[in-house]
Amino acid sequence: MDVNFRKIDIDQYDEDVLNEEELYEPDRRDPSQVLNDTKAKSAAVRSALSKGDTVGALSTVLDQAPYGPNVEEAKNLNLQTLVSILNTTKATEIPGIVKALSTDAQDTLMKYLYKGMALPGWGDVSGSVLLGWHEKLTEAAGVGCIVRAMTDRRTV
Amino acid sequence: MSGPEVFPLAQIPITSHAFNADRSQVAVSLNSKDVTIFARQGQEWKATETLSEHDKVITSIDWAPNSNRIVTASQDRNAYVWQQTSDPQTGNTIWKPTLVLLRINRAATYVKWSPNEDKFAVASGARAIAICSFDPEGDWWVSRLLKKPIRSTVLSVDWHPNNVLLAAGSADMKARVFSAFIKDVDKRPAPTVWGEKLPFNTICGEYTSPSGGWVHSVGFSPSGDVLAFASHDSSISIVYPGGPAMYTIKMPSLPLVTLTWTAEDSIVAAGHDCQPYVFAGNQGGWDLVGTLDDPHSQKSAAGGRSGFGGGSPVGRLNSAAFNTFRNADSRGISSLPGSPISPGSTESELFTVHQNTITTVRPYDGAPGAVTRVSTSGMDGKLVIWNVGSVTPINGVAGLTAKIAGLNLK
Repeated sequence: MDVNFRKIDIDQYDEDVLNEEELYEPDRRDPSQVLNDTKAKSAAVRSALSKGDTVGALSTVLDQAPYGPNVEEAKNLNLQTLVSILNTTKATEIPGIVKALSTDAQDTLMKYLYKGMALPGWGDVSGSVLLGWHEKLTEAAGVGCIVRAMTDRRTV
Repeated sequence: MSGPEVFPLAQIPITSHAFNADRSQVAVSLNSKDVTIFARQGQEWKATETLSEHDKVITSIDWAPNSNRIVTASQDRNAYVWQQTSDPQTGNTIWKPTLVLLRINRAATYVKWSPNEDKFAVASGARAIAICSFDPEGDWWVSRLLKKPIRSTVLSVDWHPNNVLLAAGSADMKARVFSAFIKDVDKRPAPTVWGEKLPFNTICGEYTSPSGGWVHSVGFSPSGDVLAFASHDSSISIVYPGGPAMYTIKMPSLPLVTLTWTAEDSIVAAGHDCQPYVFAGNQGGWDLVGTLDDPHSQKSAAGGRSGFGGGSPVGRLNSAAFNTFRNADSRGISSLPGSPISPGSTESELFTVHQNTITTVRPYDGAPGAVTRVSTSGMDGKLVIWNVGSVTPINGVAGLTAKIAGLNLK
């Protein structure tokens, strides 16, 4: 179905047009810096996981998660790192882990859960694992957490 | 402490409500183009007058307590100031409307009298706020527009006690503080924490919640030195401009859409969660302390409120909501808020006093800074008056989310 019923970009004639990037604080880091940070975090997560510290690993990956334009590679890498944590956690441990996260980390985790659900079949994303986390996270952080995942323009 | 006074005024949403000075009358708009004035008779409110002049749905009402004038804003892009005069023919007292030239090309969304009642501000969808003042020579209300740097619909405004500064919450995710200084009306204001020199349209501050979201409601503290705003990311933020500090409380529940300060250290806010929450704090930090809506006392005292989860266990699959849909499907029973309670439909009632989103909270009793009672109205057609003192603590996130579970599925 052709949904582009409007062929002309009328916004370009509007002086007052509100651009996406004006709606949130941009990430001050350079895109290459973001990618390096994300790679370093990925390594830190692996070592934390080998020690069995899932809360530490999750907090690391959710801290300063890449957002905004021009950082697609870092975003994908961070999602991959996060999914590896989610997939290796036992279902019985999830409630304790999500409760131990900071509220900021909980909000970011919710964003990633929705992102993962929007990418069926991407990497080793598994819908049932994401839904399990989603249920426990909502119990711990409330529906406000979901509302924030929807309103936040800093998409991960 | 006595419980809240609950008045079901209608079975349709109440867009806005405003009391007169002695609280004997209330002007409400029942989601229509008319204003209905209710007068209190004992424990009941009786509709006494209808103010009809707008062409489209009224969005906001404000009643100036001292000058006894009502101002209304509507989607028809107009505002009217209503004043009581005697009808030359019959001699009866009637409300006479005066059109205000707003010069906006989108709906008016919110209106508020200034503290001195010599100006009012009209927020609009035209990315502008009209500051209206009376011109005695022309015998009409004229407006000046605050435009820059608003990028989207303005959803609410609030006046600083000095009659000059104006806070505005907007759909471009920002809460702003402007100067609305009008030369012919205002004397030069004393310096405040927001600035010293304040010509018209000075921007004294611009704030946003970390997770964004439309700013639904703004409010200056009684002293005017602190600003609070509620946004659609289920958070409420309190700004100390001198700090410079901003405290953001993330709620585990649905977004708040209206707020009012009851004291310099206390805020009551309500919204899609159908109950008024109380926040307390100071320069050192702010916290959610509880709700004015105590489900337990209500359940035993007033039988009118259904026992949510009282009879049936509420599990993960909310049985109340499940039953609602099953009844609607198999028996054709729908339980609209405010409809007569039949035995089958009580299950689907919320545990809160309000049965739908609260859209307005206003101070009801007490001087600014020492408000003892607040009034709320909402989509369920109810008007409720609450004691600010009777706060029920919330037992952590779990208590809150468990309660909300019923709400989501409604």
